[in-house]
Amino acid sequence: MRRRLRIGRGAFVAPPLGIVLLLLLGPIVLLTLYSVNLRTNIPFAPTVFSSSNWKDFLTSHTNPFRDRFFYSMKITLLVSLATVIAAYPLAYFLAFVAGRFRYTLLLLLIAPFFTSYLLRIVAWSDMILNNNGIVNQALWAVHLRPSGSGVGWLLYSNFSIFLVLFYAWIPFVSLPIFAVLENMDHSLVEAATDLGASRFKTFWTVTFPLSLPGVIAGFVFVLIPTTGEFIAPLYVGGPGNQLFGNSIQSFFGDSPNWNYGAVLAISLIVVVLVLVMLFGRFLNTDLRRQPVEVER
Amino acid sequence: MSRITIDRRQFLTGSAALAGFGLLSACAKAAGPTAARSASPTASKRPPLSSESGNLSLLEWQGYEAHGTKAQTYGLLAGKDYTQKYGTKGITYTYIVNDDQALQKATSGGPFDVMHPCNENIPDYINRGLVQPWDTSLIPSFSQLNPSLVAAGKLHGQQYFIPWDWGYGSLLFRTDQIDPADAAGWELAWNPKYKGKISLWNGASTNFEIAALKLGFPKIDDLTPTQLDAAKQALVQQKPLNKLYWGSEYGQEQPNFKSGEVWITYCWQDSLVSMTQAGLKCQFMTPTQGRLSWVCGFMLGAKSENYYHAHEYVEAYINHASCANLTNTFYYGNSNTSVTADQIKDKTLVQALDLSNPQAITSGTNHLQSWAPNRSQLELAWQEVVAS
Repeated sequence: MRRRLRIGRGAFVAPPLGIVLLLLLGPIVLLTLYSVNLRTNIPFAPTVFSSSNWKDFLTSHTNPFRDRFFYSMKITLLVSLATVIAAYPLAYFLAFVAGRFRYTLLLLLIAPFFTSYLLRIVAWSDMILNNNGIVNQALWAVHLRPSGSGVGWLLYSNFSIFLVLFYAWIPFVSLPIFAVLENMDHSLVEAATDLGASRFKTFWTVTFPLSLPGVIAGFVFVLIPTTGEFIAPLYVGGPGNQLFGNSIQSFFGDSPNWNYGAVLAISLIVVVLVLVMLFGRFLNTDLRRQPVEVER
Repeated sequence: MSRITIDRRQFLTGSAALAGFGLLSACAKAAGPTAARSASPTASKRPPLSSESGNLSLLEWQGYEAHGTKAQTYGLLAGKDYTQKYGTKGITYTYIVNDDQALQKATSGGPFDVMHPCNENIPDYINRGLVQPWDTSLIPSFSQLNPSLVAAGKLHGQQYFIPWDWGYGSLLFRTDQIDPADAAGWELAWNPKYKGKISLWNGASTNFEIAALKLGFPKIDDLTPTQLDAAKQALVQQKPLNKLYWGSEYGQEQPNFKSGEVWITYCWQDSLVSMTQAGLKCQFMTPTQGRLSWVCGFMLGAKSENYYHAHEYVEAYINHASCANLTNTFYYGNSNTSVTADQIKDKTLVQALDLSNPQAITSGTNHLQSWAPNRSQLELAWQEVVAS
């Protein structure tokens, strides 16, 4: 039987959905037109269909943007994994240990995020990691480094990009994990303990599997946006650490070659769509329905 | 009551049609060159000053904001006459960090009433229909401007560009950290001894000019495909030696040099003044291959609805007082010939930078940055260098 949508309800949904579709699909179609040279940002320049930019990006042996893409994905995956690993204990503490202070602590955790992302990055760059920043000043004060000589890799390096992104995303990853842990059926943990499971075993076979939707959601929360990240590398990354997003930003913001930029942007959109479809499967899975076996 | 039902496929088809309609509207062809170039009304049809809103939208470099605006914290007096007369409320700045970005923003953003590009981009602004000629009779100080600079801004018999500031681009280096023997020419930026202590500008065409000078190419702004590739390879080779490609002069270049994060940086001569005032021992190099030189000025937006305000704004920048202050503040040259050498405070610097010479930017070994016919190839090549 075909699933039918009642117009009574649809009437409410259609206008916002239409706007969303327009604003989502419209730019993608425009980008596609740019990518094949059917549009151009340079006034009066001819527009003739050409797949040369796509060919160059996908098949050229020496294309630096493709290498930059793989480099960016490595950084993104690393940041996402590290953030999830670090956020889990935080969420666990809030859900199971913090008791009635949990929401106060949660508010404190996200408090820095009431200020601008850009400001926080500039603070990392100019006040903390800079040659005269507090980290180097502290090292000089305890004579671990000769005065005036800063640690070279603190800023404009892979390390600084990783650190800033890690810092930026931790609260966002903690939130879905915390939400899942807090709503978990605690009687299952009690049952496992009653049946003789150790604390670790209970965590590993009951708590962790039940929290997986939150973990995956948190992972996706970081992974998807950081694939296109360009602000952090722009301010704390060196010439060799710029991400794929920087190339896209640069093609659209600094140079008049939107056609090539569109090729990179569409490629990134495709990758993000694949990732969403891949992880969306797990997010739709209600693991609470699965039987949980606890060994005696 | 009857209820109309649609199935999911119909719903999606309807949504797609809606998206398609919007898209087709967005895809509508832009107005052609003729339409763009005739966007501004003729003098007889132009509304008078009193009917202009005075809400000026400016495409500007950081540091050049009009005196009296909140953003002007560098001591520049330029624009004072305008802001005293009309206030600062209507002025809005959109910032640029390099010439390529400026052209990009002028093309895709705006529309701007006044833009502040440099000499090498003048033909691009005109060819893209972004600007209209000035009426120089509305700018009293225009007659005092350096004729050779004025001539550079005249195309098709019309004055599209009002020159204002000029100067040099070179390497600034710490004399207490860099061996003087290493600091003879542009090759200093390629010296592996200073790896991680060098910072070039994230300015596409400028870096190709630097590479071309280092490689000894005669026409630095008109590279052949082979020369362009060689320059690209040279920049790829130089890239790992950089701590960063700086984007903002005041946000990155000067703070990093001041903090010791970098010892060698591409910059303009105002950084020499700032860093010397900050107590750093540094020198603005005169490379054996010659310095880069530049002249920037004002262009009038093709769609400006503040025609008379724009002229008054520019007059407030190019008048005698503003130009003298520009040179005394940033140690840039200025286009107003009524500003004489004795009105510049630091005589040593005036001599060192040849600021009293009206032909300075094209004299000696200086290379005036000029229009590059293969601009798009240069920019793509620069993107490849950055991504490599």
